[in-house]
Amino acid sequence: MKKFIYISLLSCAVALGFSSCQKYLNINDNPNSATSSTPELMLPQALTTTASLENTYNTMGAQLVGYMANAGGYGGFGSNVTYSYGNGDYQGCWTSSYDNLTDYQWIINNTNDNLDYSFYNGAAKIMKAMIFQQLVDTYNDVPYTDAFKETENLTPKYDDAKVVYDSIYALLDDALAEINKGQTDLADNDASNVQDLGDNDVLFGGDMDNWKRLANSLKLRVALRANGILTFNNSYDNVGFLTEDALVNPGYQVANGKQNPLYNSWGYAYDGSTANRAWMICTFVSSFYDGYKLFDPRGYAIFNSFDDDDYATNQLGYESNSVESAPSAGSWINLIEDKKNNVGVLKGASAGMPIMTVAESDFMQAEAALIGGLGVDGDVKTHFNDGILASFKYLYTFGDGTTSDDWDAEADYNHYLDTNSTSYLVNFDLATTTSEKLEAIITQKYIALNMVNSDQSWNDFRRTTFPKITNGSTNGKLTFASLQSTSSRKDKLPSRILYPTTELSYNNDNMPKDINQFTSKIFWDPE
Amino acid sequence: MRQKLLLFFCFGLFLISSRTFAQKTNVEGTVQNQQGEAIPSASVKIKGTSNGVLTDDDGKFKITAEMGNTLLITSVGYQDMSVVINSKHLAIVLIAANNQLTDVVVTAGGITRKKIELGAAQTIVAGEQITQAKSVNIAGGLQDKVAGLQIQGTTGGVNPNYRIILRGNRSLTGNNEALIVLDNVIVPNEVLGNLNPEDVASINVLQGAGAAAIYGSKASNGAIIVTTKKGRAGNTAIKVSQTETIESVAYFPKMQTKYGQGGSAYGYDENGYPTFSNIENQSYGPPFDGSTVDLGEPLEDGSQQTITYTGNDSRKDFWDKGLTSQTDFSLTSGDAVSTFYMSGQYASVKGTTPKDKFNRASLRINGSRKIYQDKVQATYSLGFTQNNYDITTQTADIYNNMLNMPSDVDITRYANWQTDPFANPNGYYNPWYLNPYWELDNYRQHSRNSYLVGNVQVTYKPLQWLEFTARQGITHRNYSDKTWNGSFTYSEYAKTISSNSKSDISAAVSDGEFYSTNLLSDLFFQSKFKANDFSFNILGGGQWNQDEYKGINVSASPLVVPDLYNVSNLVGIPGASEGNYKARTMGFYGDFRVGYKEWLFLHMTGRNDWTSILPVNTRSFFYPSADVSFIATSALDFLKNSNVIHFLKIRGGVSKVGEVNLPGTYGTYQLQRTYSQQAGFPYGDLPGFGLDNRIVSDQLKPEMTRQYELGFDLNFFPRDIITTSFTYYHSTTADQTVSTGVSYASGGSSYLTNVGKTMSQGIETELKVNPIRNEDWDVSFGLNYTYLDNKVIDIDGDLINQIALASYSDGSGSYAKAGYAFPVIMGLDYYRDDEGHVIVDAETGLPTKNPTLQVLGNAVAKHRLGLDFNVNFKGITLAGLFEYRGGYDMYFGGGNTYDWAGTGIRTTIFNRGRFVFPNSVYEDPNNPGTYIKNTNITITDGNGNSGYWTDDLNRTVSSNYVTSGAFWKLRELSLSYDVPQSFLRKSRAIKKMTISLQGRNLFIWLPKTNLYTDPEYSEVSSTSNGVGITGISSAPPSRYYGGTISFTF
Repeated sequence: MKKFIYISLLSCAVALGFSSCQKYLNINDNPNSATSSTPELMLPQALTTTASLENTYNTMGAQLVGYMANAGGYGGFGSNVTYSYGNGDYQGCWTSSYDNLTDYQWIINNTNDNLDYSFYNGAAKIMKAMIFQQLVDTYNDVPYTDAFKETENLTPKYDDAKVVYDSIYALLDDALAEINKGQTDLADNDASNVQDLGDNDVLFGGDMDNWKRLANSLKLRVALRANGILTFNNSYDNVGFLTEDALVNPGYQVANGKQNPLYNSWGYAYDGSTANRAWMICTFVSSFYDGYKLFDPRGYAIFNSFDDDDYATNQLGYESNSVESAPSAGSWINLIEDKKNNVGVLKGASAGMPIMTVAESDFMQAEAALIGGLGVDGDVKTHFNDGILASFKYLYTFGDGTTSDDWDAEADYNHYLDTNSTSYLVNFDLATTTSEKLEAIITQKYIALNMVNSDQSWNDFRRTTFPKITNGSTNGKLTFASLQSTSSRKDKLPSRILYPTTELSYNNDNMPKDINQFTSKIFWDPE
Repeated sequence: MRQKLLLFFCFGLFLISSRTFAQKTNVEGTVQNQQGEAIPSASVKIKGTSNGVLTDDDGKFKITAEMGNTLLITSVGYQDMSVVINSKHLAIVLIAANNQLTDVVVTAGGITRKKIELGAAQTIVAGEQITQAKSVNIAGGLQDKVAGLQIQGTTGGVNPNYRIILRGNRSLTGNNEALIVLDNVIVPNEVLGNLNPEDVASINVLQGAGAAAIYGSKASNGAIIVTTKKGRAGNTAIKVSQTETIESVAYFPKMQTKYGQGGSAYGYDENGYPTFSNIENQSYGPPFDGSTVDLGEPLEDGSQQTITYTGNDSRKDFWDKGLTSQTDFSLTSGDAVSTFYMSGQYASVKGTTPKDKFNRASLRINGSRKIYQDKVQATYSLGFTQNNYDITTQTADIYNNMLNMPSDVDITRYANWQTDPFANPNGYYNPWYLNPYWELDNYRQHSRNSYLVGNVQVTYKPLQWLEFTARQGITHRNYSDKTWNGSFTYSEYAKTISSNSKSDISAAVSDGEFYSTNLLSDLFFQSKFKANDFSFNILGGGQWNQDEYKGINVSASPLVVPDLYNVSNLVGIPGASEGNYKARTMGFYGDFRVGYKEWLFLHMTGRNDWTSILPVNTRSFFYPSADVSFIATSALDFLKNSNVIHFLKIRGGVSKVGEVNLPGTYGTYQLQRTYSQQAGFPYGDLPGFGLDNRIVSDQLKPEMTRQYELGFDLNFFPRDIITTSFTYYHSTTADQTVSTGVSYASGGSSYLTNVGKTMSQGIETELKVNPIRNEDWDVSFGLNYTYLDNKVIDIDGDLINQIALASYSDGSGSYAKAGYAFPVIMGLDYYRDDEGHVIVDAETGLPTKNPTLQVLGNAVAKHRLGLDFNVNFKGITLAGLFEYRGGYDMYFGGGNTYDWAGTGIRTTIFNRGRFVFPNSVYEDPNNPGTYIKNTNITITDGNGNSGYWTDDLNRTVSSNYVTSGAFWKLRELSLSYDVPQSFLRKSRAIKKMTISLQGRNLFIWLPKTNLYTDPEYSEVSSTSNGVGITGISSAPPSRYYGGTISFTF
């Protein structure tokens, strides 16, 4: 037994050695990643991610609404041309939206009820509202009230799309109030500690009036789309609507991951190699530039080789070896100017990324003035013409923000009005009925948003059926529906995309069932 | 004694060099066992006579004989030995026979135990068995030699990877690989591929979790305990050997050689065939007709390449014959107080992928010394390995390119891209794919690893029954690499002529370095004593483990000066990243063993671990185990004297082990949500942070595995002519640590939590028959069979019932799915009726695709069989090893790409014509819900590059590429010849000379339905649990054959 006593003592001695172990083990602090952050650090990243998100939405919109078609030399377009969607198609719209929203929600949660950060709070709420509208316009019902609760709710329930619309309208009012509160404090209180957004605001450089203008324009976007279904206060902050294009630019440059996202996708990669050339100009949109429906000098700014022999377009779903390839510099870079600092839609790797343009805001005002009751005054035609001019101005501005005499927006705008003076799509006076007026407005908006914010045109088409297409036609100038469409609808188009695979897998109980890409509609879609 | 031995040793050497005469002389000698202990009463006879003596208590003998006579030495418990007399003094070492009663094994912690004491399954593999077929990697040499041990060669290439699994998968997404222990030090798995196989003395495979008390929770997956060679007292030997091995590609996916490039997109010719195209890469053109056709666009100078339009399939010729050279050297020596072993190996490998090279140099030094009488002993073991890889990074791309290439194109013709304008990227015929030879030269990776693995140990034995051991082990790895690709600027002509598909390539380079250091400290006491009929063995101790990693990577692109691959040679901003990881674990353990009368043994262990990577409230966890061993042949009178049943042990054990399976390097830093610079930040002086997508839990805990096993070892007839062993085990693992996807709307995309349960049960059996063993012959056969039933019980109720372990972008892949085998292959399938017939459209005859993922097969082999034989006749040994795996399926992920290209054999089964979809039905229009067998509704689009074969209906239906994973392989075959002593005597210095020929993976037999590849290969890395999918991401499977010559001095 003596041996057992020895052994017991030895065991105790070893056990004692372990009594001071906690210190030895407390080494799990992360040396690789930050575990805390500040609104100042979060805002610029969130805004820049929104710019990338707009590129994701732009791709979906451009493929669905006839801006882009499959190019020659590539195959395997699958559901892109058949519309027989799976849950994986375009799912980046969902995942990137919520990913981005998580950051805005973080800013909101960390600045709520903090007067000093009311600008951060207001800006984050405006962006949250904007992205939620894009989500609803794409998916209809989406999680809103239960979202971003992390471990408290890993399977957030879906809110009715109309409820989300109401909520984001209120959120925009809330944001305006927050910003006004901060501005008032800055003006009235000498000891005010309200933090300017300053350089952290990669959208407006800290100009809070511009933020309020964006909020006003977004309120109008919500109200217009839900017109006749939902009613809102239709009141706007005194600063009015957008007066300059809302462009995000954190300092885009030619470097890996640091380029303007649109340019990076469709122009040149950072290393100088050409980006995606599997897609090219759609024959349908071309007909508004090449003289088939309208002749438009903006084509020179936007398209590669516009109006010369190398100019190539295709109809979506036409897969044959006779389809021409996209030009080696891609379809959306004109070769007239320096590709690094260009006009058109791909203005260069360092150019700002449009969140919303003045043109869109103008056309929305035109539509609101046309239908009335949405709190927008003024002459419809003036708003309409302002929109066209604003589009010329945006497209004729170089990536670095400069203009040149070679690209005279005013002159070409006038030339455009003259050349197409017989078309009511340009000459607003020729549009006699409300329907023709609406068609003119939406068609001009469609032209202005080509490869700018393409998803908004897809939303407008579903809501208004403009620009007009010929249902069932196989002529690429008359419809943008794919030749390989499997759609059961008369227009041969889908009505929406499906919820993403991640929701199917991880939030299946809440996800609305029996969603069909041809029969399920967004709540504002009258078709 | 020490001086005496040394003197004797020198004397012996001296005598070797002196002249001897063929006359009667007095020969002296000693007989020892492998541990250097004297063997008394051994019989020493002159062969062919009746003259003989017995050894004395010190193992010494004297006998009168002629030089050149052969002595035959026999002793109970040892193998018979013949020795030619070439000296007046002989040191003879007998090798222990397989004797269950006295055999000892090195088990967990470096502690030796008698085999009879062990209550859990263990299998010992001797070093010679591993090096039989001269695998450069130990894992390759261990394949199929142990029941329950699954070693899967997951890749080809110059240094193939192996996945090492014992008793199936337990953890859903965590580590399932067996713990590797090298000379009592836990080492990362990759060390196995960087160890000289010639250094291995033996490998002990602990199938169950029994080693966990000693090694901690990492041993919950079983352990592979590698012991390297030690020197032996009184025996000095130098061994030199050279091995040359040829490697050749053994298997290719089956390709069609009937149709060349073109397709219906170019229209149809007068015979109704799709038109030929000179640049098309899809093989949907007209049938080969031997005519001369243009290939590619004309060059800028107008010259046009032409080829004969015939299927020749030169793809196989692209791959080289590989060559591996291994040079080995080792020296062992020892005396009464110290032992010494040193070795060196240089292996160089030229792979089957052209230009791929690998080399490895290893050095080892092992030894021991008694310091203070017999009370203090120091031992050390130190190995250093350095390897170099020079490989292309584009193997997968090249392989894919090759599978896409029309079979009339002779790829080997494009090797000289620098000088041949048709091989130059500007003139290369195919605008969509690069010339693979250009890729070989322009996408390279040079990497270098050095490993230092070693330990030092001191034992102190103050009392006869008490011993203390202190041990420090270290594994240090240092890695650096340079990965680069060259640039190419196309001529304007080349860009426009090839449908604008040739786009400039810019150069890039990335440089990375990391080190990892794993420290393991052990301090334990061991006490052995007897009291009456009871024997006790008590062990207690502590263990401290620290893992540390630091890595840095810098990348640059595009580059300025061509061919200068340096990260400072760039335009723009370099990319940079850094990772630092450190984790610690400490454990306190006890191991208690009590034996009764040498026939009943009870063993109990307990261990508590504390780990730095879990939350404070769950970081401490305890796990116990117990096992029993009963030697029936010693305990029961009626068996004691049985002539049939020579040995019978019945054993059983239960254990519970916790394993911490957090993701990431060492599982560190998973407890706090992180923020990082995203979206290209920083831009200049503007920083920007965003939330990362992992939602964290503060409730993480270890995965718990509960296992029990029962078995027996049964040997028949004296000398154990037939030995058998049988084990049944059952284990369940609960609280799986799973990073599950979550709805993005929750504020993240993944969540780490403890859910789910898996089960594994199986049978491990071994049978060895040694029917003939005499002076001239030694014949043995072995068989090991493993049955494995591995399942996912549940994951997280309704919320998550499946987890993708490895999947392609279309969702097909390897999954863990509740209620199914673990893992299963999932993917898309057609709609089928109740009998499994594919439902086709009544109008078009086209099958209908079910859009939800289906379980398409079981990805893990249920049955594994190893068959080996070893026939030795007078120094000639023929040994071989066959393997069978069955009861599972595999998915070929490359099928979809080569059907797209029209090169796959499937695309020609109906000669590119109309066909009725095989085994199909269509819905009865009069009775919806019932189906009519389809015999006449044909698919019209069986031809052309926009027809059925390239359609999503064919290519994205993964079930089209799922096939049985069964195979038979001739894994190893070797023939060796020991040059007779009578011949060697003339050369004096050479004690032994062996010449051998050997081959590995020589033949594979696959079911007819497997059109693709060796099911053993895997699309994913060897550490991923997502097995079951094969693809084209590594070089095709190889066979190896070569020869070795070795000398012992």
